[in-house]
Amino acid sequence: MRGLTRDLVVTAALAVLLVFLPAVLREVFGRASVSYLSLATNALVLAVLALSWDMLARTGQLSLAHAAFTGAGAYTVAVLFKLTGAPLWLGIPLGGLAAAVLALGLGSVTLRLFGIYFAIATLAFTEVLKAAVQRLPTAVAGGAAGINVPALFRPTFVAGSMERWEVAFLRNQGYFWVYAGLLVVAVVISVVIQRSRLRAAFTAVRTNEQVAGVMGVNPARMKLLAFVLSSFVAGLLGAVEAHRLGSVSPDGAFSVHTTVLALVTPIFGGLYTTLGPILGATVLAGIEETLKRTFSEGYLIGYGIVLVASILFMPRGLVGLGSKLFKRGGASASGTTGERA
Amino acid sequence: MDLSLLPQAIVSGVLASGLYALVSVGLALAIGVIGIVNFAHGEFFMVGAFLAYQLFVGFGFDPLLSLLFVAPALAVIGALIYLSSIRFVLRAPELNQMLLTFGIGIILQNLALLIWGGDPRTIANVPYRSLGFQVGGVSIGAVPLGSFVISLVLVAGLYWMLASTPLGRAMRAVAQNRIGAGLVGLEVDRVYLVAFALSALLAGLGGVMIGVIQSPTPTVGLGFTLKAFAIVVLAGLGNIRGILGAALTVALAESLVATLVPNGDALRNMVFFAIIFVVLVWRSRRVA
Amino acid sequence: MKRIIATLVVALFAVAMAQGVTIGVLSPLTGGAAGTGQAQKAGFELALAEINAAGGVLGQPLEIVIEDTKADAATGVAAFEKLMTEDGVEFIAGGYSSGVTLALVESFRTFQPVVSWIGGAVSGVGIDGFDGIEELLGAEPWFFHVHPWDYQNTEASTAFMASTGVKSVALLHEDSAFGGPGAIAAAGLLQDAGMSVPLVEAFKSTLTGGTGDFRATIAKAAASGADALFWIGYDSDVVPLTSQIRELKYDPQYIFGAPPGWPSEFDAAPEAQCVTGLIGYLPNLPNAEAKTFLDAYVAMHGKAPDNYMAALAYAQLWSYADAINAAGTTDQDAVIAALQNGTFRSPMGEWSFKPSVIALHQGFGSEMWNVFQFQDGVREIVWPLARATAPLASCR
Repeated sequence: MRGLTRDLVVTAALAVLLVFLPAVLREVFGRASVSYLSLATNALVLAVLALSWDMLARTGQLSLAHAAFTGAGAYTVAVLFKLTGAPLWLGIPLGGLAAAVLALGLGSVTLRLFGIYFAIATLAFTEVLKAAVQRLPTAVAGGAAGINVPALFRPTFVAGSMERWEVAFLRNQGYFWVYAGLLVVAVVISVVIQRSRLRAAFTAVRTNEQVAGVMGVNPARMKLLAFVLSSFVAGLLGAVEAHRLGSVSPDGAFSVHTTVLALVTPIFGGLYTTLGPILGATVLAGIEETLKRTFSEGYLIGYGIVLVASILFMPRGLVGLGSKLFKRGGASASGTTGERA
Repeated sequence: MDLSLLPQAIVSGVLASGLYALVSVGLALAIGVIGIVNFAHGEFFMVGAFLAYQLFVGFGFDPLLSLLFVAPALAVIGALIYLSSIRFVLRAPELNQMLLTFGIGIILQNLALLIWGGDPRTIANVPYRSLGFQVGGVSIGAVPLGSFVISLVLVAGLYWMLASTPLGRAMRAVAQNRIGAGLVGLEVDRVYLVAFALSALLAGLGGVMIGVIQSPTPTVGLGFTLKAFAIVVLAGLGNIRGILGAALTVALAESLVATLVPNGDALRNMVFFAIIFVVLVWRSRRVA
Repeated sequence: MKRIIATLVVALFAVAMAQGVTIGVLSPLTGGAAGTGQAQKAGFELALAEINAAGGVLGQPLEIVIEDTKADAATGVAAFEKLMTEDGVEFIAGGYSSGVTLALVESFRTFQPVVSWIGGAVSGVGIDGFDGIEELLGAEPWFFHVHPWDYQNTEASTAFMASTGVKSVALLHEDSAFGGPGAIAAAGLLQDAGMSVPLVEAFKSTLTGGTGDFRATIAKAAASGADALFWIGYDSDVVPLTSQIRELKYDPQYIFGAPPGWPSEFDAAPEAQCVTGLIGYLPNLPNAEAKTFLDAYVAMHGKAPDNYMAALAYAQLWSYADAINAAGTTDQDAVIAALQNGTFRSPMGEWSFKPSVIALHQGFGSEMWNVFQFQDGVREIVWPLARATAPLASCR
């Protein structure tokens, strides 16, 4: 358990860092901190999405249903506020719960599917769910046009005592903190998995289910547990996104793009780790924005090249590369680094 | 429900299975034989469609004539991609392959955006695109019929090649046992190279067909890509013949629902993916 | 040392002053809506070159900063905030996608720059329980909306249909936010105008995951016995829809579509013959600028504009330049007043901002729309009659 204590201390340190980051950005960049905070928030969203996907992948379940879970969270919030006058913050936990229940259902019927069969089944599930939500009565789910969702933060502008960008800063800081909270929740779940017997159980299920059975691990229960934990986090994320983006629609909420990013980011950062997805999200978001600001045309070509190069030169992601360099550096203090991995 | 449209629905559905099989057969080779989950396969369709467009605009080539040029061009592109990247991830986990091919897809899509822009294009003069034959009150479209015949020939040819040629036997051998076949390492690499180039070539053929039916755009491949993946998996990995049955099942179901249910066309994807989901789940439970 | 710094600051300040007015542009340059974004960009580039050749704005060259939204809501918000806080712009142009616009509502309200917004046509008017762009932003004095609202599009379409004298119309529409809500309104208006609507049928557009097999839907339209076919879908649906109508020997009197644009080179396709469509800009419109815009556009970009969004973007940037010059200052209230009171030239003819159902400042209305018909490879204007270059021909 000493490992877990250490990880939780690191998580607490990360939380403190995230709490103060907006103020630091504001001190250093002034009004530009508004836009940097938005970019940082987008990176946080990606990190939570990626970490949530990774938890499920640890049991070998290669899900293409992550858009279904974020979408379920988003629609839970939207329908809740459309039909009832629920308190503003109630929708977020309910969104997580709805996604978890959905995952329990999906997970229990896909238990015997593996690899690409599992992947395609979960993708098909997402597409069916998207079409079904669009077909629900307009009075309930808004049909194709979707549903408006109220903002979580609406700081007021006080003329004379503040500037307009400071209002935007307060709103962005609010959302940043909420997503930071989600990340901390996801990290805590992730490190608890990694530092308990669950880690060995998940790994056993991933590498060989029969052997896992012999070891006394119940593969079905482990898979469902991973599904529920992962989708709960994804559902929370979708719910907050619905508030931040002001509306939900079937094509937006259940986008394949969300699913693909959920899978690409942890691979880039390093699979089956807590740090990998977070690092992957931060670096990928940073690279994309830098390329966008550097090249006016075709910046996404550069982004694609980065992805291709990353998998060729660091097959175990950023984390794999880091640990390799670290070990090498330890072996020969002044040894050469940057060698091809 | 208007049952007078039923014969047309059945004919349209059967013929539509041709295009579905055509876009799936190359992917089946990539996934089933090489074991590569190629997320860039849809971009191969897109490149095929744009090349057919460019050959029409530049030289006035009919798409059928363009097939002769697009197919080898895609094979070369596929081979280059294999040699420069895929080759290095063959033994890596399939997730690594997905990230790699996803990156390749982004590159291809945005290169196309730079070259051709985002506006939909048109291969303006395809004399047989709006051609239909009336047989007993039912219309048979020339393009669906052509796709159907081409896909039958391709599937049969591929099946024969895998079953009866030395190259095909080598492909099946490496598909079944990579480590064993790896004893003759150089050969294996060559077999994979040929298989991946062939997969891209087949995608190019599908892309030309898509370019005839639709407007080439940088994202034209997307609608077909997800469906092609699903059809390959429905058929079962490595089961080339099964593509035909899988494509027929989903295409017929789509056509029937689109015809017989009010606003049914908007339900096409729901029907398609519901079948995929139910069959995969049902099959997994039956086996156990 | 202090003196050097002081000189430097003064110099920098002078440079900043000399840079003149910068307008921030939000547009989807990549991704699924890249066609629209690239068209807008091409229109802005042309307008910018002309404005600066004509002396710029307030005696200085005008500058624009274009940010890619990818038609993604979160990216759009971050891009807007970059324009406001890093680039220091006070005027926003461009605009497309209702999802992105809805996400920007809170940020627009916070910064309250002058926002001139082309797209996001979902007004929300007539949709119960959903607040659209016009309902959320229309009453803001700093918000100017350029493209007609969805109900103005529908008004024009149904007015054209009524003018043809057909008795019945089959209505096909794509099933997402673009075609879904509009179709219900259109069916009502067609019936109000005395036409029967035997079929209202949704289809899956090629832009939202469809594969372009519209045979089932077309067979239903044929079986409905309607005189005319009216479809609402995307540019990429044009080729499969028109070719399959012919393949199935469906023979309505008129085939009328309202996509946001028409695919390049479709004009030369045999399937185009007798097809009619709603369009904002055409080079043969009866105003001098329609032709000069085309010539200048071809000179700069090497081909004619494929998408009328280019003409709208061009008109939008010119309206900013004219308004700021008329105001003689970049003061926000003065520019708003100048935009509100000005009359601007455009390839679509003269235009100005006026109130719509809710909005204070709506640019083009239903009067912007023309119906053209492909007649032997030429887009002839057939409606409204005052602008017609040829009579409407029946497809039969």
